[in-house]
Amino acid sequence: MTGMIRSWPLALTAAVIAVLVILPLLLPNFWIANILGRSIAYGIIALSLTFLATYGGFVSLAQTMIAGVAGYTIAILAPTAIPAGAGWSYGLAIPFAILMATLAGLIVGAIAVRTRGIYLLMITLALAVGFSLFVQSNVELFNGYEGIRNVVGPDVFGMPFRTPLVFYYVSLATAVLLYLGVMYLVRTPFGLVLQALRDNSRRAAALGYNTALHRIAAFGAAGFIAGCGGVLTCFYNIGISPGSVGMGATVNILIMSVIGGLGHPIGAFIGALIFTLIDTFAASIYDRDRFNTLIGLLFLVIVLASPDGVLGIGKKLAGLFRRKERSAEAAPVSPAQASPAQSEH
Amino acid sequence: MTSPTVSGTQAPALSLKGVGRRFGALQAVRDVTFDVAQGERRAILGPNGAGKTTLFNTICGDFPPTSGSILLFGEDISALKAYQRARLGIGRTYQSSLLFDGLSVIDNLYLAIRGARPGRFSMVKPGRDNPELARARELAEMVRLGHVQDRLVTELSYGQRRQLEVGMAMGLSPRLLMLDEPAAGLSPIERPELSRLLRELPRSLTVVLIEHDMDIALPMADRVTVMKDGAVVVENTPDNIQTDPMVHEIYLGHRRQGHA
Repeated sequence: MTGMIRSWPLALTAAVIAVLVILPLLLPNFWIANILGRSIAYGIIALSLTFLATYGGFVSLAQTMIAGVAGYTIAILAPTAIPAGAGWSYGLAIPFAILMATLAGLIVGAIAVRTRGIYLLMITLALAVGFSLFVQSNVELFNGYEGIRNVVGPDVFGMPFRTPLVFYYVSLATAVLLYLGVMYLVRTPFGLVLQALRDNSRRAAALGYNTALHRIAAFGAAGFIAGCGGVLTCFYNIGISPGSVGMGATVNILIMSVIGGLGHPIGAFIGALIFTLIDTFAASIYDRDRFNTLIGLLFLVIVLASPDGVLGIGKKLAGLFRRKERSAEAAPVSPAQASPAQSEH
Repeated sequence: MTSPTVSGTQAPALSLKGVGRRFGALQAVRDVTFDVAQGERRAILGPNGAGKTTLFNTICGDFPPTSGSILLFGEDISALKAYQRARLGIGRTYQSSLLFDGLSVIDNLYLAIRGARPGRFSMVKPGRDNPELARARELAEMVRLGHVQDRLVTELSYGQRRQLEVGMAMGLSPRLLMLDEPAAGLSPIERPELSRLLRELPRSLTVVLIEHDMDIALPMADRVTVMKDGAVVVENTPDNIQTDPMVHEIYLGHRRQGHA
């Protein structure tokens, strides 16, 4: 068992989930849907990036595009869409959209299989930009620049999906399942091999692992996660347009992941929350249209102060306190307090 | 993928036939031909740049030979990739440790054990009584890391990493163990520990060893191959190698000037 799990004990996870479940009772609708719900939905897309970066060492800029594949699929298939598409039921369209995103993830993984670092960044960025230009110029299927509107999502227990409470709880449930799924996955042989690829892919091959296939599978898993986020954000935005998969959207997801911290999956959601808060309140803090300045400054401050994002700052503070306690008690060094974020990504 | 064991046959564990490896204009390994019998301990000596590690990498499949062929227990593996050769039973260590730094000792060994077994993509977490985890714990004891098995590799001392290197190579229950300078960089105090560990390896295991330290290499070797400039110069028993004037000239003499 690595330090990663020890530093996030189950009790804390359960407590955070409990607070998130109770929170809507205390907050106005605007906060439930437009701050928390939105943070969670975009956090899921960021989670797919953080998952790949933390455990595989792959920083992929194609995750927004993969979420967009799910978003466009559901928009084209949705019964309510304008312009009308295939008119499937949501019950069929949602799993199909997530399947398409998983496939897109596998394809991106296969295309990028030989690249690392800056080259992986470039190739995934190229794919993202290519996809955004493609949907923008294709009117037939993707309705070009305008995109597809009125993708409202299915009714849940007789209530429209976009009821704040429904959107919030469905997003939360999805995020919790995916988060716990990631935490479980990284302890399975598949997840351990992924970390082995991050640390030393040559050794992994010498042990008998087909490193290329494992990489592609990891991108597939990340595609599944991004697909879930893509469906939710499509419902949140009541549709999808090229802007949802463009360069700006791609960078936003990257900013969320980095602000939150690439050391642990929870960073994706912390980053998404901070990003959403600034995006929403930039106008009242400083000036309308100053969002980019604010988020840019915050990004700089956090990255300069801690390359591991907000998580890294938290961990450093926790480490300081622990050291004080320890020196006070003069307790022996336990092997358990390894920093999980020591992987330099 | 289970490998067909050719027990009873006399096929050499490893057979190199005219193996060469060229990098552009550099012929790093040229026309190397020798057999290593099943159960034999073979040491490969030679000065720096003699092509020993390149030969190792060619045998283990990091890159294919540019000429000649490599047979493992009679089976031609020249065209196979590194992971395929590992699954056929070649375990190896590296001159400078290549470990999974972000994982614990036990996870490193667990991965080493799983590598040649099916279920590499398993998305089911191993239970507490998982036989492969149990084997990983045994292996940790064997390489004397039982007391630090839950530590991350980054927290290990240099000597402990070298021990883990050997454990990783043993993890896939190899038929052929390739040790690339297992004692490289160890302090004089750490060396005997590793030397003892190597002598305790099961006698049935075929071992090919690159080692600069004669005190480690010669006592455990059945035969010694000396390389220079990418080619084999001499092959003989350890006793004869020690007294061979040519070996003194190209290797031992060189070494005495260099290190002593």
